[in-house]
Amino acid sequence: MNWPDLSMGGYGFYVWGSYIASLIFFVWEIVSLKQRKKALTQQQQQSSKPVSTPVLRGSINETTS
Amino acid sequence: MNIYKYASPAMFYPLAGKLIPWFAIPAALLFATGLFVGFFIAPTDFQQGDAYRIIFIHVPAAWMGMFLYVLMAIYAGIGWAFNARLSSMMASSLAITGAMFTAISLITGAFWGKPTWGTWWVWDARMTSTLILLFLYIGFISLQAAIDDARRADRAGAVLALVGVINVPIIYFSVQWWNTLHQGATIRLLQKPTIRGSMLAALLIMLAACWLYSVAVVLIRLRCIILEREQNASRFAEVGV
Repeated sequence: MNWPDLSMGGYGFYVWGSYIASLIFFVWEIVSLKQRKKALTQQQQQSSKPVSTPVLRGSINETTS
Repeated sequence: MNIYKYASPAMFYPLAGKLIPWFAIPAALLFATGLFVGFFIAPTDFQQGDAYRIIFIHVPAAWMGMFLYVLMAIYAGIGWAFNARLSSMMASSLAITGAMFTAISLITGAFWGKPTWGTWWVWDARMTSTLILLFLYIGFISLQAAIDDARRADRAGAVLALVGVINVPIIYFSVQWWNTLHQGATIRLLQKPTIRGSMLAALLIMLAACWLYSVAVVLIRLRCIILEREQNASRFAEVGV
């Protein structure tokens, strides 16, 4: 094991920049998904007909358009 | 056990919920392992110095961007041809993650290009075709968002996704077909890779992590899409549409 030089031999800005940019994307995706899920749960609670699981609308072979 | 029952969104919803942790937890562990191998074990490259460490995220992201596009087109195509709702929902779910990986590959590529080539961006065949891939993803997402009727949106998206598939082999072979600034492949299926073992290990671990991460987030999003569409459907049913 060798400890990496944090300055990355002068390339620190580029190496850390790309990892931080990627991290921002991953965090953005996870946070936005959590918000989407939260909004859905709230909608379900507010609705007069609470739907705990998706409504079983038809069978496997359903071909509605 | 009849596995075909899981083709129904309502049946797949609880199964997806159970599957998510089996992908999310290994993904987190593999990301940690991949970064550890990439930064602590893999040696400094004698030509590119430490700047090459960007490839541990750049290459897996670029592969995922292409792979998820093909997968999205297949699901969209199946959804269109067989009127399978779950397939079309899967395609919509894959699009955002695919677009995200493509964006990561372009941005990290720019960060790699600046110190290595001296420029953030060139209109090189591989980079231009990858940018087109990002536009195809954005086009697919916007087209679906613009059409209110979910099934019509699915069909329109499927046409765009299937036509756009032609771009994927163009990206892949661009470094062979044209004289590009982007370097050729270092890892090929039938030939010995031209990079050192620990570098290859880090790259493959990161690829596995990105793959597992994609499955987890796509399933979470798929569950949201199922709920949203079924809620809309039950609301329409209430008002008699």
